Amino acid sequence: MNDVLIIGSGLGGLECGALLAKRGLKVLVLEGSNQPGGCMQSFRRGGLHYDTGLHYVGGLAPGQTMHNAFAELGLLDLPWQRMDEDFDHVIIGGRHFAFHQGYDAFVEGLGKDFPHQREALQSYANRLRNITFADMDVCAYDYLSQTFTDELLLNVVSAAAMKTELRRETLPLFNFAHTCSSYIESSWRLKGHGNQLVNKLVGTIEEAGGKVLTHSKVVSLTEKEGRIESATCANGHVYEAEFFISDIHPATLCTLLEGCPSVRKAFRRRMTMAENTCGMFTAQLCIKRGALRYFAHNVFIYDKPNVWTMTEENNPVKGVMISARVPEDGSDCLRQLDLLTPMPWHECSAWTQTTVGRRGEDYKKFCQRKAEQCIAMAEQYIPGLHEMVEQCYTSTPLTYRDYLGSPEGGAFGMRKDCRASLLSFHSVSTTLPNLLLTGQSIMLPGIEGVTMTAFETCSKITQDKARH
Amino acid sequence: MTREEIIAEINAELAEEFEIDESAITPDAPIYQTLELDSLSLVDLIGIVQTKYGVLISKAELPNIKTFAQLYDYIEQHQK
Repeated sequence: MNDVLIIGSGLGGLECGALLAKRGLKVLVLEGSNQPGGCMQSFRRGGLHYDTGLHYVGGLAPGQTMHNAFAELGLLDLPWQRMDEDFDHVIIGGRHFAFHQGYDAFVEGLGKDFPHQREALQSYANRLRNITFADMDVCAYDYLSQTFTDELLLNVVSAAAMKTELRRETLPLFNFAHTCSSYIESSWRLKGHGNQLVNKLVGTIEEAGGKVLTHSKVVSLTEKEGRIESATCANGHVYEAEFFISDIHPATLCTLLEGCPSVRKAFRRRMTMAENTCGMFTAQLCIKRGALRYFAHNVFIYDKPNVWTMTEENNPVKGVMISARVPEDGSDCLRQLDLLTPMPWHECSAWTQTTVGRRGEDYKKFCQRKAEQCIAMAEQYIPGLHEMVEQCYTSTPLTYRDYLGSPEGGAFGMRKDCRASLLSFHSVSTTLPNLLLTGQSIMLPGIEGVTMTAFETCSKITQDKARH
Repeated sequence: MTREEIIAEINAELAEEFEIDESAITPDAPIYQTLELDSLSLVDLIGIVQTKYGVLISKAELPNIKTFAQLYDYIEQHQK
């Protein structure tokens, strides 16, 4: 029998698998699709690998937020490249600003553009370094409004947080700060595709005798005497284990638990009624050889200082993130560029009944139009970009829904609400003592959030094993 | 809603959602034992009250709600 069965092979599932396998437990990971990795997986088009959700990682240097976690997971061995000292550039209404690595340099850099707000910037930097669980109840937007009297600066410091859902009423300071802080410590890009991360974690699991099975979609869980006893897959295989970890969306997990008497309706209702975050539209560009020099920083471009309200009024596109891919051939020029912009689910309403590859000509035209809008915005930083594009591949929240099983294509899992933190932040434990949760919907999204949650999930199992 | 309406509605809802016999719910009965709540399923109770009445029970006030009568009082005082 397996010690631990993990449902879903996103980053959280694989990290749990690797951590527990290294601690000597027999791990089985079941993945419904044809490849492991979830949002970390890459896909191949025209001889190049394109990533789904990996753009940059923060805090990998010794003593910083992610260093020890990635060291334990064996992920520090991957070819990380430190980004420019000015790692995030922000352009709002044509004005250009930069975030610098290191808190002092961050304050100093923006302090030059906003000398009247230098004290506020210092206070902000101190706060980012001292975030506690109590900040789950603090509204990020309210905190920023009280800290910065200059509205443009409020928008500038928030601009790079496009990697979470910026929503004025709900986003907790806890989440906002975790989205920003580790990148200020130091920022890194992976040379090569994100599957390296997936392959490393899968390798760790397999070297310890564990398995990662694809085409193994779990369709139900069976309970016996108050514990989950087995998982049944669509292909008819049944697997038993001592512990089960769910790395799928909690609402999807509830459908697997329908026959389990210990899981009451109240739990299912809370998990299925929770709101999801908005999705993202991505235009992944293949750039003509020699056309564009590589730049080791991200660029966030907004039409105007409406960073916090843009998501709901982003049609046509009013803000875009530019992420360059490290050249793999030693060239000074890049071949791949990602353009990302938030895209709420309601923009997909005409195609919710469609499946991959069968969405029709109007969907293709919609994606093409949106990609052109993203490219037009990106031309504020890269003049003539349109002419440099050799190929353009697009993805929408529908892509996330259909490939990754993310309800409503939410890019950051279930929404967290500072007004109801008890309801929107979830424990990794459940009422079934051997069923645990992990992944971006539980506490925090992003690579840092998912990794922190994976460690918490695994600690529950190791504590339980130690007790018995 | 009147207090009587709240009592009738929330009792039926809690019995359904927590899968217990409604007759076990009386004003002075202890909520935790009656609904078989632990620290994890307690959140489900908060979720039901919020969804049904738009009333959010805060962390600070949670320890003061020990009986169903205290829950009815809280909803009645805070309902929108």
